[in-house]
This record gives sequence, C-alpha cells and structure tokens, in this order.
Amino acid sequence: MLGPLQPLIDMVTSPLFLMIVLFPGLTSIAIIGALLGWLERKVTARVQLRIGPLYASPAGGILQMFADLIKLSFKELFVPENSDAFFFIMAPTTGLVIGAALVGLIPFAPGLQIANIEVGLPAFLAIITLSPSLVLLAGWSANSKFPFIGGLRALFQQTAYEIPLWLSALGVIMMAGTLNLAQIVAAQSTGWFIIPQALGAFIFLVTSVAEMERLPFDLPEAESEIMMGWQAEYPGVLFLAAQGPGFVKLYAFSALFTTIYLGGFLGPSLLPPLFWMLSKTLVVIILIMLLRSTFPRVRLDQLLRAGWTTLLTLAIVNIGITYLLVVGLPTF
Amino acid sequence: MVAQGIPEIGAYIGFLFVSTVALIIVLKLLITPRDPRPTPEKKKPFESGQIAVGPGRTRFIIQYYPYLLMFVVYDVIAMFLFAWGLNLRSLGEAGSLPVLVFIVVLLIPLGYALHLANHRENW
Repeated sequence: MLGPLQPLIDMVTSPLFLMIVLFPGLTSIAIIGALLGWLERKVTARVQLRIGPLYASPAGGILQMFADLIKLSFKELFVPENSDAFFFIMAPTTGLVIGAALVGLIPFAPGLQIANIEVGLPAFLAIITLSPSLVLLAGWSANSKFPFIGGLRALFQQTAYEIPLWLSALGVIMMAGTLNLAQIVAAQSTGWFIIPQALGAFIFLVTSVAEMERLPFDLPEAESEIMMGWQAEYPGVLFLAAQGPGFVKLYAFSALFTTIYLGGFLGPSLLPPLFWMLSKTLVVIILIMLLRSTFPRVRLDQLLRAGWTTLLTLAIVNIGITYLLVVGLPTF
Repeated sequence: MVAQGIPEIGAYIGFLFVSTVALIIVLKLLITPRDPRPTPEKKKPFESGQIAVGPGRTRFIIQYYPYLLMFVVYDVIAMFLFAWGLNLRSLGEAGSLPVLVFIVVLLIPLGYALHLANHRENW
C-alpha cells in the first residue's frame, strides 16, 4: 500500500535528512536562535540591574522571542519608494541561509555533522565572508541615507577584521595539520588548542565578535548613531529576518570556537559528547554576551586602525609562536 | 552514528515543524494587512522624523579607501599562507624558509601602506 510512497518515507527517515531538519539542522537552529535572543536580553538586563523579559511564559519570559515572532509576522510588509524591492527582500532572507549553512559544517558529536568536508574551516570562514556584502546590498537597496551608511560601514569593517580572523585560524591549522573540523577535534585529544594558541584564540574571539557585528563592533547597526543602520527600513517579518542571522551566527561562531580551541565534543565520558559540545558553546555564547554589555562601541577609524595594526601584528606574532611550537627553533 | 539513534517519530516531528512554518507563511500572506493607498509621507525613507532630502544613495566615504586597496592585496596573500600552514609538518624548516622570507618581504610594504593610510590628511 505504501509502495509509491516508500522512497519518500526512506528519504524522510534517513539520518542525513533527520540531521538537516532536526538537529543540528533547521528546527534546532530556529529554536536555538530564538532562545539566544531571549538569553541575550536576559543577560544584558542582569548586567544592567534590570529584569528583562518576564511575562511571556511562566519561566521568566523564555517565550518572549516567539511572541515577538508572532507579533512581527502579522505586521504590514512595506517597501519604501525608490528602493530596489528584489534586493531589499533578498538580502536578509539570504542572510538566514548563510547562518544555517554555517551550522551545517560544525561537528556536534562523532558523526553528528551535516557536511563533513575536507576544507571545513576555510569553508566556514568563506561562507561568513558573504554576510557583509549582503549588509551592503541591503543598505544600498533601501535607498535611504542611514541604511546606506550602515552598509558602507559593514564593508570597511570587513577589511579590518577579515585578515586577522583568517591568520588566527591559520595557527590552528598549523597545529592540527588538517582543514577538516572533525579531524581538528581529534587532534585535540592530547590537549586543547587554547593553551598553545592562547593569543590566536583571543584574536579569533575579538575578530569573530567584529564579524558578527556585535556590540563593541556593531558599527553597521549602531542604534544610537545611525538608528539601526542597514536595518532601519525593514518592516515586520523582514526586520526579524534581518535580526535573526545575528543570533544564528553567534551560535555558529561559538560552536566553531569550541570546535577549534576548546576541544569540541571531547570531554570525560561520563556524559555524552553532545553535552560537552553544547555546554562549552553556551559558555562561549555567554562570554560574548558579557562583552556586549561591558564594552562601549568603538569608532570606525579606531576599529580599522586596531585591526590593521594591533590585531594583524598579534596574528603574525601568533603564527611565529606556532611555527616555533611545531617545527622548533631555527638552526640556520 | 548518533543520528541513527533518533527514533522515527523524530522525522515526523521535523516534518510537522517545517510544514507548520510553511502553513504560517501562507496564512501570513493572507492575513497581513495591506495599505491600498499609502500616503506620500509613508513612502518616504525613515530619518527619525526629519523630512528626507536628496537621494538616498549618498556620496561614498573616501577617507578609508586605502584600507580597501590593501585588503584586496593582503587577503589573497593570507590565502596562500594556508597552503603552507597545512603542510607545515612535512615541509619542515627547509620548506618553510621561503615562506618566512615571503612574509617578511610583504610586511615592509604593509608597514608603508599603513603609514599612508593611518594619516588621513593624505586623503
């Protein structure tokens, strides 16, 4: 009776389909993104001696972002005049795809990885490189001054952090001798890379916060200077689509930081590997959220100068240290 | 594989979730309010209550342009270092010497370019 439907059922119940749809794929990305939005508001509120979301559920407003999602979904979609409607709608929705594609590269447990490709780490950094271009496209298409300024800031900001980000990841590759994320985790079974790569981990954390456009470096959407920058014109659910990738990128970058510096899913075998992976990721996420509520926003010229002088110099010093650790003192 | 331990009901939960999202999108398109005749003020770009004047796509900020030029050059060079870093153990000291010379040679123009770029009176 199920004859014609059998291939469909086989596809739906195949492990890869389950991983793409359930965990670590789309369903978990959507739920974790929404929960991170709640967590960020709660952490920021506690730092600022406020309470934060409270009423949206019995458990301290944990459903606040779902309530926001329902509210924003039923608002009017309005495209301002003289804007490029195609790119205006395409840019934030493509941002969601980029955020979801990043999570697919992360090994959450042995075998629990959607795409175990040989060039996992450069692929992750290459996919994330597209997001400032989308911000510029969104800012340009809105045909409004503040979004356009925000988009240009995203472009200039990218030049400041991109090279230190790649060079700090190079230290990990020199230690591990592989680009595959699962093999990088396996290479850390003798010791986490954060100890030999402490400087590289610091640079990676700072530049990834700049990549995510989070608060010390949130120049493209500085709400007190250029009133949300490139997101200013987005109505209703498109605003949610513009905000959402930020939380998905936070999740993906924290998982990547855990994978390449904190030993990934490795840990005592009392608890399953997935527990270690997610708990380490949560620690990194809360660290980044505390950075957001602690530091003031930098200026664009400060960020460019710091990225091109301090961070780049430190990244090159880190490569030198890693060279000495791997190859040894030069004999010539 | 851990994923094979996920029971079959998981597939249906995931399928239910995705189809619920699709249903919400369709419902949303039907329910979302539409303004048949928006006023001219509503169609204007939002500038915190000020009346928008002039084109939205304004002039380009030129003062950080040298950083863009440097980025085009040095981002590609960072890529070349990945090939070296990946094979560092097999290359050893003898194979790494040209790359280290390459890095040092490239740092000299980088320093000069930064000297020019950081002094904005040049631009």
